[in-house]
Amino acid sequence: MSDLCVVGVSHHTAELAVRERLAVEGDALRELLGALRGGPLREGVVLSTCNRVEFYAHADAVAEAESHVRELLLARAPDVPVGDVLYTRSGRDAVRHAFRVASSLDSLVVGEPQILGQIKEAYDIAHRQGAVGTLLDRWFSRAFAVAKRVRSETSIAEGTVSVSSIATALAKKIFGELTARRVVLIGAGEMGEAAAKSLAGTGASLRVINRSPEKAKAVAKACGGEAREYEALASELAHADVVISTTASKRPILTETLMKGVTRARRFKPLFLIDIAVPRDVDPRVGKMSNVFLYDVDDLQQVAEENLAHRHKAAEAAERIVEVEVEEFETWRRSLELTPTIVGMRDRFSEIVHAELERTLGRMDVSDTDRKALERMERALVNKLLHQPLTALKRDRDPALISASRRLFELDGTDEEEAQPQPSATPVLKKG
Amino acid sequence: MATTSMLFIATAVLYSVTSALYLVALFRGTEGTTAAARASRSARSVLLVSVVAHMTYLAVDRFNDATPAMPVIHQTLTFISLGVVVAFLIALLRRPAIGVLGAFLSPVTLLFFLGSGLGRSVSEVSPEVRSALLPVHVGVSLLGIVAFALAFAAAMGYVLQERLLRQKRLGGLFQRLPPLDVLDMFGFRSVSVGFPLLTLGIITGAFWTLRIRPDAPPLAPTHVFAIVSWVLFALVLVLRVAGGWRGRRAAFGTILGFLSSAAVLLGYMLRGGGA
Repeated sequence: MSDLCVVGVSHHTAELAVRERLAVEGDALRELLGALRGGPLREGVVLSTCNRVEFYAHADAVAEAESHVRELLLARAPDVPVGDVLYTRSGRDAVRHAFRVASSLDSLVVGEPQILGQIKEAYDIAHRQGAVGTLLDRWFSRAFAVAKRVRSETSIAEGTVSVSSIATALAKKIFGELTARRVVLIGAGEMGEAAAKSLAGTGASLRVINRSPEKAKAVAKACGGEAREYEALASELAHADVVISTTASKRPILTETLMKGVTRARRFKPLFLIDIAVPRDVDPRVGKMSNVFLYDVDDLQQVAEENLAHRHKAAEAAERIVEVEVEEFETWRRSLELTPTIVGMRDRFSEIVHAELERTLGRMDVSDTDRKALERMERALVNKLLHQPLTALKRDRDPALISASRRLFELDGTDEEEAQPQPSATPVLKKG
Repeated sequence: MATTSMLFIATAVLYSVTSALYLVALFRGTEGTTAAARASRSARSVLLVSVVAHMTYLAVDRFNDATPAMPVIHQTLTFISLGVVVAFLIALLRRPAIGVLGAFLSPVTLLFFLGSGLGRSVSEVSPEVRSALLPVHVGVSLLGIVAFALAFAAAMGYVLQERLLRQKRLGGLFQRLPPLDVLDMFGFRSVSVGFPLLTLGIITGAFWTLRIRPDAPPLAPTHVFAIVSWVLFALVLVLRVAGGWRGRRAAFGTILGFLSSAAVLLGYMLRGGGA
């Protein structure tokens, strides 16, 4: 019997070098989705990001789907040991996996916001290629809803986890809006430039100071700021709100004496100093001065770790939400299974015919032999009436058709569209 | 009488609930900022209901002949508590970020409101001390204290936020408090509004006292506290403009100034409502 499954590779199982080779985008992706039809996958969505390449599918047999995906991937990258990194989840585990991925619980950085957009895009592309049917449609719309729920009900997405975004967030916590503020970057370095860029991106103006004027110009150009002479350091500091220092100097360049003059010149307006240099550029005593807030690289990294720890804590609550949602989805999926639907339809028809027969026989005097014959007729009648619909259901095993039958014959109770199925009296056969 | 008392109790309970909700919204440990924002919004809704209850109480009290008339100091206190809440709600419209300051403002409101209900049996201002200056004195002082209450809440937030930033404790409380600059500016503006009102209140009060009781001791404790608050707020304003004295020190000055001006009211309460 058909089932849902996920087959793919992710940052848990494969190195970036491997994931890069397997990533599918653009026309190749559309082609791949087009090629899915007719294969062992009835419906499919392909999610390809820098952290994962995964096939979400509704397949007749999970094992076939797995080998089919392996072949597809091998065809794309024959030299990659796909077998070693490929994983498969089926049934309930697949449903849970999709919900966790959408909620960013399976991400490299837990709680990162991009993944939901990426899944939505993957789904849209598959939908346009006609690769999505009833089951995947329902599966993915549930996954989006779960992700939304996790985001609003837990604090999984709160607190930034990179040094440059933490610096920006802190600056906002000190100055409010940053549009009219001045950022000064002293020196050059990857982390410092990233922080300066992030701050300049919020609308603050940026000055870059370096012992080498050429270097200052180059960095200023890269980060969208203006270069200044090293000699202008003190006067630039007097007009700065945020200072990022990342020089290779062996001794502190922002000494207590220098900064005392600077704070007086700036009339004790708040100053946020970010010291990313190792060894440090700012004399630690400066951090004790009034209205000066000094953070060094260890402080920022510690904040990053705390925020990440906080997210992992929130993830526990998120996992509980996912579990509840998986249970609901599985209940819905069980309701789509063929056997309970067939049994339900038979019961419904038998009930009606039997009731009518009893009503008529109640007014007549019939012998036991005749009664037996009539009861045989009753069974034959139900079988004949149901023969064609049941054959169609069994032949296609189409979830849309099963779903329609359940609604037409009110097998899930009345008037509950797309109902939470009743824990029905019909036996539920679940394929593991 | 019964209706008035019931309305008084209902209003007090509502203010208590508001205070509790705001305190939870600001201080509840591990919850994220989204949860805190939700709690803060529900606190605001209860605050709005409290205001309606408070106004109803005042209206019923005013037109209920059975109730003994409210002494001036009690009227002042109830109007201060109402004024603080209304001013806070108006400020919220312009700066939603300061919502969490309700955690400092609503307990202040509650205290003023409870104070207004104490010792209702005290008689009204005796006819001989009545004067045209009295409503002016009471009115401007009242508005001044409302402004200082807002400044006080901002200063409390500032001191707390600055300490967290300095100690690098950037957890939930830090995230929920508004930016330092927002708190600083809000406090400064509130003091700027309150200071001229306080000045006018002290001048009218001095005139009035001199005229009604020329033989009164020159400096009662209430007067001392009034002058102390005036000096503190003057320092907060002057040193900020002249000497760049801002941030934590200004916040401490504001907190002390507000407490001192509240002590003036307490002094009047203890003396039983007169001058």
